Amino acid sequence: MSVSDFANVLDGSRVVVCCGSGGVGKTTTAAALAIAAARRGRRVVLITIDPAKRLADALGVDSLSNDPAPVRLDGGAQLWAMMLDARGTFDAVIRTQARNEAQAERILNNPFYANIASRLSGSQEYMAAEKLFDLSNDDRFDLVVVDTPPTREALDFLEAPQKLMNFLDHRVYRWLMTPARGGLKVLNIAAQPILRTIGRVIGADVLADAIDFFQAFEGIEPGFVRRAGAVQSLLRSDQCRFVVVSSARRDTVDEAVYFTNRLSERDVTVAGLVLNRLQPSFGEGSAHSALSAARAAHKAGDETLAALQENLAHVRRVAEAEQAVIAPLVDRVRGAAVARIHQRATDVHDLDTIDALGREIIG
Amino acid sequence: MFTMSRLLVVAGKGGVGKTTVTAVMARASADSGLRVLVVTLDSRTGLSELLGGRATDGTTYDGTTIHTGLGPNGTGSIHLRTITASEALQDYLATQGLARLAKRLVASGVVGVVSSAAPGIDDLLVLGKIKHLVGLTGPNGEHDLILVDAPAAGHAISFLQSPRAMATTIRGGPLRSQAIEVQQMLTDPDKCRVLMVTLPETTPVNEMLETTESLRESVGVSFAPVVVNNVDVAVDMEALVAAGESTARGSLPTDDLMRAAEYRAERSALHRTTIERVGQISHDVITLPHVATASMDHDDVVVLADLVRGASPKRSRAKRPS
Repeated sequence: MSVSDFANVLDGSRVVVCCGSGGVGKTTTAAALAIAAARRGRRVVLITIDPAKRLADALGVDSLSNDPAPVRLDGGAQLWAMMLDARGTFDAVIRTQARNEAQAERILNNPFYANIASRLSGSQEYMAAEKLFDLSNDDRFDLVVVDTPPTREALDFLEAPQKLMNFLDHRVYRWLMTPARGGLKVLNIAAQPILRTIGRVIGADVLADAIDFFQAFEGIEPGFVRRAGAVQSLLRSDQCRFVVVSSARRDTVDEAVYFTNRLSERDVTVAGLVLNRLQPSFGEGSAHSALSAARAAHKAGDETLAALQENLAHVRRVAEAEQAVIAPLVDRVRGAAVARIHQRATDVHDLDTIDALGREIIG
Repeated sequence: MFTMSRLLVVAGKGGVGKTTVTAVMARASADSGLRVLVVTLDSRTGLSELLGGRATDGTTYDGTTIHTGLGPNGTGSIHLRTITASEALQDYLATQGLARLAKRLVASGVVGVVSSAAPGIDDLLVLGKIKHLVGLTGPNGEHDLILVDAPAAGHAISFLQSPRAMATTIRGGPLRSQAIEVQQMLTDPDKCRVLMVTLPETTPVNEMLETTESLRESVGVSFAPVVVNNVDVAVDMEALVAAGESTARGSLPTDDLMRAAEYRAERSALHRTTIERVGQISHDVITLPHVATASMDHDDVVVLADLVRGASPKRSRAKRPS
């Protein structure tokens, strides 16, 4: 065998997106894939979203920064890493897209903008897509590996540009915008009955800030929509590969299947599947055979052997249950590279272990 | 512990078994004779089946009663409902005398645009509804205890921060009063506590401690005992490994036996030290044992609930905030 399936995924793409539900080791897997690709001679940048502290420390991305920093690897491997700063990225987009400094300032200083930039649902996903697009066009790198927020939101990641386009295209938004073009004052708009009602509920000043924000956006939205479209084409192109990460529990497998289905609705196929934290099964035998052996040992009066066989039966029972749970997922992604990673006794959080994990995935 | 406050918000990082723990706690308290209301914000988590209901049970705003007649005197019950922001909004507008407008506002999409522009409103509306339900608990009310399966960690923080954030952003109007009242409920330990769920491993515990600190500081909530889920310490594996080493290693039919024992011994050693560490920081710890399965079901929940009732730390019931 020359090159493994996972090596192909890493060698043949410009962007690798890791998806999966929370707690399945997605960030660690993204880091492992990034190191593995760097070891294969690619110049890689890793975007993490919300890494656990020790992992962040290991990668040297312990603080938010909007620019990737080099990760020290031996053997001349070239890897950079960053932790996504959604607000900083949003600010940068506004500055690039605004017609002039005054317009940028008006938006950035709007009290509502702070809310949108940090908390608008999907804004983190959108900014991850934005950053990914940015870095995929950066000459320093030839591969971007990106971690995503948990599954359902990871779908937003794919839909984020579309969502923003819809938002900017929304008739209500247009309707709020129109008076700005006609020179109507914020106060007059807020006086319209339906908005007066909303204002009564959420407070008139909040509404005024919102309207002001939308109006400040005037003229920016075509640029935004164009860019969102470009991000989306990259995500859907064959230069972008999706890797699904799952553990062997039913709930995370269900999420992974759901996600795979949603991807295929968009004609995107899953290129790789990483199954994390599998229980080793220790040998070829079944839980049942170990249990029979335990009974026999018990009858023969060898309690130590009986207990050892019972334990082997226990771990195999878990391993067998896991195999049954992951089977439909493995079937669903047929054709994709599949890596089965066993549970480690300790957490994976230093560079050496992540490096080793990367080698294990590549196979 | 089920009577320490009216509302228990179950929170934890993804993958720690938050939904399973919610089901176990609900079942354990109902088996103690309490009338329990379980609130979920997402109907797709499988909570209903874990509680012994059908997949479609409890997926609506009004919800479904899944069990009655539980507990020693048959007073225990479990009711599950799903509270979404848009339904909470319509409900809220109706209480503001805007019932007729509510539908139109939602249908027109105006509300969607404004609420996405004022993030936190969604969370506040859901919490506002929960606060309303908490007001209806007690001997004369419908329920004794409300359990909320909170969103996963990152969002749990912003979810519980929303009232304070909204009280700052909104300078007037009924929603501001709502935010202030919800914030008061969240910080009253007789009314509300957060139950953190974690796994007996280093990183999940670190993250649980970070979330706890963040919630304590930014929201001011009190906490119920910490639940450590999936703990595998029942068998003394170290002793078994030692026995295997000294007596039989050479004569064992296969080396897999010792490798499997060593593997599990290493894990239970990790679990023990991690639980010890949690115990040093949080005084009340409930451990739920590892179940040899890859998919928890209702039967597992019932077994775990029995264990929780048997193992429920007495001092946490007595421990009232001064």
